[in-house]
Amino acid sequence: MNTLNKNKLIDSIARYIFMAMTIISSSFTIILFAFLFVKGIKPFLPNYEYGMINFFEFLFGMVYRQDKGIYGIGFIIINTIITGFLSLIISLPISVLTSLFIVKIVPKKFGVMMRYVVDILSGVPSVVYGVFASGLITLMVKNIGYFFGIPTAGGNSMLSVIILLAIMIFPTITSMSITAITAVDKNLEMASLALGATKTQTNFKVVLLAAKSGIFSGAILGLGRAYGEATAVSMVAGNKLYGPTFNLFDITRTLTSTMLSGLKETSGVDYDIRFSIGLILLIVIFGSNIILNVAKRRIGK
Amino acid sequence: MKLALSVKDLNLYYGNKQALKNIEMDIYSNKVTAFIGPSGCGKSTFLRCLNRMNDLIDNCRVNGNVFLDDVNVYSGKMDVVNLRSRVGMVFQKPNPFPMSIYENVAYGPKCQGVKDKKILDKIVEESLKNAALWDDIKDRLNDDALGLSGGQQQRLCIARAIAMEPEVILMDEPTSALDPISTKKIEDLIDKLKEKYTIIIVTHSMQQAKRISDYTAFFLMGEVIEFDTTSNIFQNPKDKRTEDYITGRFG
Amino acid sequence: MKIKDKIYNLITYIASSMGIIVLIAILLFIFNKGFNKLSLQMIFGKYWAVNYISVEPIKSGNFELTNEIDGIYSKNWGIALKDGDSKNITITFIHKDSPFNNLIVKDGSINLQKGYTIEKIDLGELSVGKIVGNNAQDVISTIDNYQTIQSVYFKSQSGGIFGGVIATFYLILISLSIVLPIGISSSIYLKEYEKNKKFKAILQYGIDTLTGIPSLVYGLVGVTVLFPITQLVNINSTSILLGGLTMSIILLPTIIKATNDALDNVPDSLRQGSLSLGATNFQTIYKVVLPCCINGILTGVLLSIGRVIGESAALIYTMGTFVNDAPKISSSGSSLAVMIYSFMVQENPNMELASAVSIIILIIVMILNVILRVFGKKFERKLV
Repeated sequence: MNTLNKNKLIDSIARYIFMAMTIISSSFTIILFAFLFVKGIKPFLPNYEYGMINFFEFLFGMVYRQDKGIYGIGFIIINTIITGFLSLIISLPISVLTSLFIVKIVPKKFGVMMRYVVDILSGVPSVVYGVFASGLITLMVKNIGYFFGIPTAGGNSMLSVIILLAIMIFPTITSMSITAITAVDKNLEMASLALGATKTQTNFKVVLLAAKSGIFSGAILGLGRAYGEATAVSMVAGNKLYGPTFNLFDITRTLTSTMLSGLKETSGVDYDIRFSIGLILLIVIFGSNIILNVAKRRIGK
Repeated sequence: MKLALSVKDLNLYYGNKQALKNIEMDIYSNKVTAFIGPSGCGKSTFLRCLNRMNDLIDNCRVNGNVFLDDVNVYSGKMDVVNLRSRVGMVFQKPNPFPMSIYENVAYGPKCQGVKDKKILDKIVEESLKNAALWDDIKDRLNDDALGLSGGQQQRLCIARAIAMEPEVILMDEPTSALDPISTKKIEDLIDKLKEKYTIIIVTHSMQQAKRISDYTAFFLMGEVIEFDTTSNIFQNPKDKRTEDYITGRFG
Repeated sequence: MKIKDKIYNLITYIASSMGIIVLIAILLFIFNKGFNKLSLQMIFGKYWAVNYISVEPIKSGNFELTNEIDGIYSKNWGIALKDGDSKNITITFIHKDSPFNNLIVKDGSINLQKGYTIEKIDLGELSVGKIVGNNAQDVISTIDNYQTIQSVYFKSQSGGIFGGVIATFYLILISLSIVLPIGISSSIYLKEYEKNKKFKAILQYGIDTLTGIPSLVYGLVGVTVLFPITQLVNINSTSILLGGLTMSIILLPTIIKATNDALDNVPDSLRQGSLSLGATNFQTIYKVVLPCCINGILTGVLLSIGRVIGESAALIYTMGTFVNDAPKISSSGSSLAVMIYSFMVQENPNMELASAVSIIILIIVMILNVILRVFGKKFERKLV
């Protein structure tokens, strides 16, 4: 075989290897959904070996007692959505203002330092946030509770979860907002300044408005993170057995904290039900993504 | 005179837009042929048809024939990799690879499977000598090519192209990014290279075309308006548009 | 007007200070709780104590000391003891000639070391020690009255995390060696080969979706989809290999994005230059394009290492939470981050040890961040 043909053969072999790798990477999502679905619906099928669970009682039940064989996650879904959403409401304005500060207001050098702070916060592992939350945030919440005369379970509470999540999604939203604000067309700002608006007015009225789509994407990503966050949340949630929880100082239970409880099981309903909850978790995350994306498009118009 | 390339009825489309129309041209061996015309007239696009660099552009479609030694470049018989090793190219901006000077020149032969160090050494030396670069850099062959000056980088790219011993060298405005002194050196080099190679050069400067080329083609809006010896084109153009262009009435 | 502007600006100042305050609070809290626990012994030691019982009697001597030492010293036996946490009797000093330096145990002899704890000392007619309910003072004053000790029951020091260090190292090694070839190939294919825009968008969408899936879900999938793969090499329980496989999927989008950014930064003129010399597509990528991407890929590797070190949720399912002092690729074990989780959720949460491990992780994260900054700068400069 001459060199030219050899090279061409190598070239086409390489192409097919690369293609195969890409298809593998890309199909993980499908494999993941498929397996989760197959495993997740097993407990609701009539021939389930440990006794079929009623799907509607599972989805809308307001009591979760593994010890009594009651698996209702309706309140857990509600808790997850509430805690995630409230943490977003706290975190979003802080993140947006911080990114505006970093990109437009502060001198460059200090801005670089602030970006570094954001980078480190996003690099802090979730377990470390968990240690911090169960040591300090719970203490804070407990004291606030005392102050108002509300008892807490050692500070483990919905409020702790919300504060924790707000901190954890802060770097995500901030870095997305920084990107969005940096990308705003300079001409737009010039136009605003030329019309006699002050720098601050331009920042708040023109820049933020122009960057809103990117900021919104950051919020969507942040909310997904909040729903999916597991280890840290499970350390401060308290895992209530019924609900939903509306009292900020009461303990709560989220989808992820439920998935991490009863970890020692390796078979049986308690093991299988985790896959069902995992499936619901994905549906909650992607569902809220879709809803928010539709909302984003509406607002965008 | 021997023909190096013969182009018959070549059309090129970007999507639905036709960029080259019915090009017919014979290019003679061991001559310098220059393409001139206002920017956007299709001269660079046409140049890239000759070694099928346009294949890399999405939605670019070529039909027509380009004969190299009686083999149609656009037929299934011609392998594009083989074609490009026979028709070399030098680009507008010097684009040496981020490796040593030696590795840059040896790159093409190595890709063709030349492994013998002695042969490679000889190819590198010969090519650099032919590109008038050897005396400048013979002591620092292992230095990073990006450390050379712009003019030296362009001569390195020429050396890299002639290391493949091509039949034709395409040059796409090779001096437009260079200062006048470097430009002069490259022009002298082109004059020397035509003894061994056929050179086709796209240039933005009519003076350059006048100085270095034997034949000149004038392009306008994707068509060849006039193709003749350089002296005919510049001294008694047959077409009114050619005359207008070379006398500076538009462009 | 001006006052209003100032108020607006002030709000941004307050908002951004919150991020700094939180970071400082985390650092202060973690360092405050964990710094005292931090030591070389803790990093390189074992987590579980080993029990030893000496089998041959030892005789007392005279081991006078001139300098002050920590704990209560017995000059007849050349050993100093102190009351430690949870009623432990901890050895704080051993004289170099002390008989305790050469205890004969079942499989040979062993030196008692600082930090070991005394459970029981058998003096023939009576026993003293922690399990009999004595404190350090009791033990020293009792053994001082005897010339012979029949046997010593002691424990080596516990609370070390070296097993976690090894497990984390294995994890990084396994996950990177799987994700790098797959990830780099995928981005090359997407960027350099696939020309069909629709097909490319579908492939890209599949990869992008991976980013939005919580790591806990990856853990679930690890134990179902990837577990059969580890079974092929005869691993039938949770294992570090399974954890590494799971991590490699989590890292895929990171590596693909990093490589893709790097490929975007390679000027097309280099590709064209190579192709015009008659190089094939593969030769162009392998010889010209990829060498230009090394920095970008390294950035991805660093990001991935940070991610592996910090990951807990996905690994809890796939590697288990058992703290293993001598982890193997085929055995279960916990990485440093999972260790923190185990320390926090065990019956008596050990916040000090958890914080000490957190300090180690935080320091690594910060170092990685600094390296990334430096790399990032080089990266930009080279390709402009």
